[in-house]
Amino acid sequence: MIKTAAKKVYLALIFLILYAPILTLMVLSFNNTKTRSRWNGFTGKWYVQLFHNEDIMNALYTTLIIALLSALIATLIGTAAALGIQAMKPRIRTLFMGITNIPMLNADIVTGISLMLLFIAFRFTLGFSTILLAHITFNIPYVILSVMPKLRQTSKSTYEAALDLGASPVYAFFKVVLPDIMPGIFSGFLLAFTMSLDDFVITHFTKGPGVDTLSTKIYSEVRKGIKPEMYALSTIMFITVLLLLMLINMSPQNAEIRRTKRIHFGNLQKFSRVFFHRVIPAAIIAVIITGGFVYSSSGTGSSGRQVIVYNWGDYLNPDIIDLFEEETGIHVVYEEYETNEIMYPKVQSGAIAYDAVCPSDYMVQRMIENDLLAEINFDNIPNIKYIDDIYMDLSTEFDEGNKYSVPYLWGTVGILYNKTMVDEPVDSWGILWNEKYKDSILMQDSVRDAFGVALKYLGYSLNSTDLDELEAAKKLLIEQKPLVQAYVVDQVRDKMIGNEAALGVIYSGEALYCQEENPDLEYVIPKEGSNLWIDSWVIPKNARNKENAEAFINFLCRPDIAKMNFEYITYSIPNSAGRALIENDWMRNSTIAFPDISQLENCETFRFLGDENEVIYNELWREVKSS
Amino acid sequence: MRRQPELKTRKLLAGPYLFWAVSFIIIPLLMIVYYGLTDTDGAFTLMNLAKMAEPENLKALGLALLLSLVSTLFCLILAYPLAMILSEKNVNQTSFIVLIFILPMWMNFLLRTLAWQTLLEKNGVINSILEFFHLPEQSLINTPAAIVLGMVYNFLPFMVLPIYNVLSKIDKDVIYAARDLGANGLQTFTKIILPLSVPGIISGITMVFVPSLTTFVISDLLGGSKILLIGNVIEQEFKQGSNWNVGSGLSLVLMIFIIASMALIVKYDKEGEGTAF
Repeated sequence: MIKTAAKKVYLALIFLILYAPILTLMVLSFNNTKTRSRWNGFTGKWYVQLFHNEDIMNALYTTLIIALLSALIATLIGTAAALGIQAMKPRIRTLFMGITNIPMLNADIVTGISLMLLFIAFRFTLGFSTILLAHITFNIPYVILSVMPKLRQTSKSTYEAALDLGASPVYAFFKVVLPDIMPGIFSGFLLAFTMSLDDFVITHFTKGPGVDTLSTKIYSEVRKGIKPEMYALSTIMFITVLLLLMLINMSPQNAEIRRTKRIHFGNLQKFSRVFFHRVIPAAIIAVIITGGFVYSSSGTGSSGRQVIVYNWGDYLNPDIIDLFEEETGIHVVYEEYETNEIMYPKVQSGAIAYDAVCPSDYMVQRMIENDLLAEINFDNIPNIKYIDDIYMDLSTEFDEGNKYSVPYLWGTVGILYNKTMVDEPVDSWGILWNEKYKDSILMQDSVRDAFGVALKYLGYSLNSTDLDELEAAKKLLIEQKPLVQAYVVDQVRDKMIGNEAALGVIYSGEALYCQEENPDLEYVIPKEGSNLWIDSWVIPKNARNKENAEAFINFLCRPDIAKMNFEYITYSIPNSAGRALIENDWMRNSTIAFPDISQLENCETFRFLGDENEVIYNELWREVKSS
Repeated sequence: MRRQPELKTRKLLAGPYLFWAVSFIIIPLLMIVYYGLTDTDGAFTLMNLAKMAEPENLKALGLALLLSLVSTLFCLILAYPLAMILSEKNVNQTSFIVLIFILPMWMNFLLRTLAWQTLLEKNGVINSILEFFHLPEQSLINTPAAIVLGMVYNFLPFMVLPIYNVLSKIDKDVIYAARDLGANGLQTFTKIILPLSVPGIISGITMVFVPSLTTFVISDLLGGSKILLIGNVIEQEFKQGSNWNVGSGLSLVLMIFIIASMALIVKYDKEGEGTAF
C-alpha cells in the first residue's frame, strides 16, 4: 500500500515538473498585461488579437508547412531507406545505421552550423527551402529508426508465400509488408512532425530574412518580452493536440468494453475510427496547405517590388509598414536583430542582400570603412529636410559629409532606478558597484555599452584604445559581476517594470515606456557622462532594391510617420516637425526623450576603433563574461 | 533463385537516402573540418583547435561538462524509477505513455524554458509560494542550478523513453525465474533488471549528455547571460564574432565528446534496442 502510494506521489511530482511551465504559459495567455512578470487580471483579448497578428500567423503557417512537408518527405525517403537497409549485408547495414545516428546524436548546434556552411558555400539563398532541407535531414533518422524495428518483426515467409502464389514483388509489398510496418511509418511521421515543430537551433542557423518559424520568432522576441498572443497560440495548439490524442486514445480501450460498445454503437465505432484516422488528419492537412497558400500569396506580393529591411528588434511601428506598402506597393520583408555585433557579420558575409539596415553610429563608421555601404541618392529622399541640422552635424562624426546615412532615432544611455528600492540619490555610475544592490543590478549585454559604463566611471573616454585604461575597465567589470543579476539587452524593460531589479542600464527610449508602466521608475544620465547615440538608416553595397530602400527611408522621415513611430516605440526622433505633432504633452516635453543636446557636455558618441581594437574589446569582454 | 536479384533491387531503395546523407550529413561535416583546420585565408592551421585551450574557453567547456554531467546524473536518478513504475503498467498504454512525454514538445521549447523564468524569478511563482508560507526567499534564477534544472526539464524524456523501452521488453519469465530460485527484490534488480537495461541507460545518457553539453539556449534564458557555456561561445563565434574558422575549430574539439558518446552506444547497444522512440 505504502509502496503504491509512494509510486503515485513520485509520478505526480514528475508530471508536476513536466507540466508546470505549460500551465504557467496557459495562465499567462489570460494575463491582462504585456509584461510577463505581473498578473493584471483576466482577459481573453490575446486570443482575439492573435488572429489579427499577421506575423505570428505567418510564422505558424511556415512552421506547420515545414513540419508537414519535411515529415512527409522524410517518411518517404526514410521508409524506402529502411527497406533497402534491411536487405543489406550486416556490415554495410551497420555503416548505414552509423550514418543515420549522426544527426540524432550530433549536437544540434554542430548540425545547424554544418548545414549553414554548406548552404552558403554552394550559394543557396538562405530561406524557406534551406530550412526545409535541414528539417528533412534531421527527420529521416527518426523515420528509419521507427520503421526498422517493425520491419525486423515482419515475417519473411508471408512475403515469400505471396511471391510464390504469384504476386509481383510490388503487389506483395503493398499487400503484405506495408500493413505490417504501417504503425512504424505512422509513428515515424508523427515523431518527425513533432521534432520539426519543436526545433529551434537548426532553424536558427539555416533561416534567411523574412522567413520565421514560431521558434525563431519567439527567440527574436525573448529579449524584449514575448508577445502575449504567442502564449495564446501555444495554448490553443497544445489543447488541440491534447484533445485529439485523448479522443484517439479513447478508441482502443480494452477489448471487453469495446465489444459491449460495438453491440450498442456498432456503426458509431466504425464511424469514429474513420473519423479520427482519416477525416481529421485530412482536414488538418487541408487547412495547413490552403492556409499556407493564402498567407504566402498575401505575403510575397504579386508586383515583385520589395525591400528587405534589417532593423533592431521592436524598433518600428508595424502599422507604418502596412501604410508604406499601401502607398507605394513595395512589399517589405522585415527582419530584426538584437545588437550591432550580431547584425554586422550577417551584412558582411553577403549571404543575404539587405536593402536597408539601421546600425548605430560607430557601426555606420565601421561599415563605411570596410566598404560595405552604398552612397545614398538624396534626390530620392526629399524628406531629409525634416531632419534637424544638429543631428546631421552630429552624424558627420561617423559619416563625413552625410553621404551614407540618414538619422533615424537617437538617445542617451543612463541608469533607470526604482525609487522605492534605492535610498541614496542616483547621480553616478558608482552606484552600480554598491554592494547594497547585489543581485538587483541589470547590465547591458553588449560589449561597447558595458565597457562604456566602466570607462566613463573611471573618467576615461568611451572610445579609449589605451590598453591600461581598458584593462582597468575590465577589472572593474569583473569586480561588478557578482553584484549583477543578469546581462540583458531589452529585457531591462520587463524586469524593471516587474520590480525584479533596483537599477538597470538602459537606453533613454526604453525609459519613457517603463515610466509609463511603472511610475516608481526614474531615469538619470550620470554626472560622469554617458553615451549619446544615433541610429541611422544605411544601404548596403550589395542591396538589390536600392531605390525601394530610399523610398522606405524617405517615408520614415515624414513628420507624421516619425510621430507615429515615436508614439509606438518612445525613442527620440531627430525630427522637430514630427515632435511638434505629438499629442501627449508629457511625452512631447519629456527631458528624457528630448534632452537639450548642448547640456550633455560629458556625453560622447561611439566611434569605430578599427578591427584590431574591436578584437581586443571582444577578448576583454569575453574574459569578463567567463570570469 | 528469385530472391537474389530481388534483394539487389530492394537495396536500391536506400539510394535516395544515401544521396541525401552524403549531401546533407557527410559533406556538411567535412565543411566544418575544412573551416576548423584553415584560417581566414584558407591556409592550413591548428590555431582554431588551440583556441579551446585559452582560459576563457577552457572554463566554458569545463563548466558545460560539469553542468551536463550533473544534469545527466539527475536525469538518470529521476528517470530510472519512473521508467520502472511506468513499465509495470499495462502494456497497452505504451503509446499513451510515450505521448505524455512527447506532448509537451507541442508547446515550443523556448516558451517552456522561458516559463521557468516566470517560475524562478525573484518575484516569481515559486518565491511567491514561499513567501505565502513565510519561508525565506530564494534566489533561483540566473544560477548554475537554474541551468541544470532547465536541462533536466528539457531532456528528461530522452532518458525516460529508452530506459522504459528496454525495461518493458524484459521477459517477465526471467524475473519470475530469479524469484523462484530464491533471489530477493534487490538481488533481482541488481542481477537481472539492471544489467538487462544497460543499453537503455547508455542510450539515455548520450541523449541527455550531448544536448546538455552543447546547449546555448538554456544557459542564455536561465543563466541571465552571466554564465557562458561552450555552446554560447561557439554560437557567438558564428553569429556575432563572425569568425567561422574559430567557431568550426571549437566545434571540432567538441565533437570529440560527441564521437565518444556514439562509440559508447555502438559498444553497448548494438541492436539499437535502447532507442528512445
